[in-house]
Amino acid sequence: MEQRWQIEELVYRSCLALDERDFKGFLELCDASFRYKVTVYSPEIRKELVWLDHDKAGIESLFTNLPRHNSDHAPLTRHATVYTVKVEGSQAEVVSALQVFRTALDGGATELFAVARLIDTVKLDGGAPRLASRVVRMGTRQLGFGSHIPF
Amino acid sequence: MPKTAAQWNAPPPKFPATHYVDSRIYTDPAIFQEELEKLFRPSWIIACHESEIVNAFDYRLFTHPTGVPLIIVRGEDMKVRSFYNICPHRGNTILYDPAGNAKRMTCIFHAWSFDTRGNCIDISRAEQGYQERFRKEDAGLREVKAEVGFGGFIWVNLDDASGTLTEYVGPAMDILAPFMQEPMEVFHFNRAIVDTNYKLWHDTNSEFYHDFVHYFNRVTGMMQPGYFDRKYTAFPNGHATVGSMSIQYDKYEGSKQRAVGWPGLAPGGWYMVDLFPGMTYNLRTSVLRIDTAIPLGPNKVAIEFRGLGLKSDTAEQRAQRVFDHNTIWGPFGRNLHEDLLAVHGQGRAMHEGTDSRWVIHGREENSTIHDEVGMRHFYAEWSRRMQRPSYEPFGEGGREPARSAA
Repeated sequence: MEQRWQIEELVYRSCLALDERDFKGFLELCDASFRYKVTVYSPEIRKELVWLDHDKAGIESLFTNLPRHNSDHAPLTRHATVYTVKVEGSQAEVVSALQVFRTALDGGATELFAVARLIDTVKLDGGAPRLASRVVRMGTRQLGFGSHIPF
Repeated sequence: MPKTAAQWNAPPPKFPATHYVDSRIYTDPAIFQEELEKLFRPSWIIACHESEIVNAFDYRLFTHPTGVPLIIVRGEDMKVRSFYNICPHRGNTILYDPAGNAKRMTCIFHAWSFDTRGNCIDISRAEQGYQERFRKEDAGLREVKAEVGFGGFIWVNLDDASGTLTEYVGPAMDILAPFMQEPMEVFHFNRAIVDTNYKLWHDTNSEFYHDFVHYFNRVTGMMQPGYFDRKYTAFPNGHATVGSMSIQYDKYEGSKQRAVGWPGLAPGGWYMVDLFPGMTYNLRTSVLRIDTAIPLGPNKVAIEFRGLGLKSDTAEQRAQRVFDHNTIWGPFGRNLHEDLLAVHGQGRAMHEGTDSRWVIHGREENSTIHDEVGMRHFYAEWSRRMQRPSYEPFGEGGREPARSAA
């Protein structure tokens, strides 16, 4: 149970870091081989789509460039629930449900922004568990004016 | 210098009237309804791409900007046709899923069935109920003009009396013709709904002065040689094109020159074609992006975004195109969010009752990239079709702004 607890905490810490826009903190939870993808199925064109695909350097560059861009400043709040943890050798496959809420800066109204699944591969090779990969499997496909910050 | 109410309401004094519009054309519900009839109903509109309905009996649903629900279907003869997605019996929806394959299109309500040519092929218990008064031959679907062209896109037109697609587009697509010789394939689709007027989205695609909102475009384009040489060219029916330059992708931190190009297009090349009343072809180095604006109300628009590569792509080439697309144009891309945020901001400031008054399209720079001639050309066509000038949509001395009447 100790291992499962550590894995769950890793998923939750990753959400907290992104909520706080603590991108350095998020990257510290990721292995050097980290790969991040956002995928979705489009029933309109009946195809699997990739909406984002970066290695660790790519996602770091995305974060570094953020202040140079014009972005929506409304905070996003991630609510994750770890559904399953499957440990195989030195890694675990973790499936979590994710809801992302957006809170307007003016007035503070909160609305559901997106639902997704997090499909994480967690590295378990001695020290603290680290994210080796994250696939954000989008349920929501309509994001209004969108977001620069991935989920 | 700040303005008084009178100064705010007075037209911009030093521009000709063609260089600004009355902002009520973006907000007035009556004008919006008139636009649907006069601009969208008789225009050719992109519904989807041929790669979305490859096989016989494949279909795709499309809600036309006027609100009419359409089926786009490939028949057993491989011809593409379009019909209202409305059962002629009790007005129900015939097909529900946005895409699929249907040898018979059957209304779930009373099981009336139709073939891909729009014929009714079965009315359940027809003789018992209708005897000889109404037969399946009387129950065809309403067919809508459909043509395939300009890169394999499927265009529809609700006006039975309209001219052909080629007549409508005219020479506006000549600039892209050399780059659309190979079959293409849609690899990306998403729809954004934004609280803004559809014209404000098309305006954004019709001017590059707003590159100031895009850090990516500033460093890879505006600060590079050739940027200010790009030129607008206006064409009949409100269409316009933008000439190319060589985008320096490696000037953006973490980015590099595009590894995959496009047949015939110079490295880093970028052409655009804006088609009246709300479609844009955007061929940028390795990807063709298509925008179709579907107005939902005076202050609400759905924009359908498609990304296309070549049908002949290897897996590696396709992956690179997808990556290039997503970097700037994907739902989490650098530029798309900025563009959508900007027009959302216009919708916030310009919806009915906000006392917005004029929108200026006054930049003149010899039709080069920061000239606002693209928008002026659009509004000249808008004025022609709406039979009123966009700077004076209620006529001289016509309806005063609501705030004055109050």
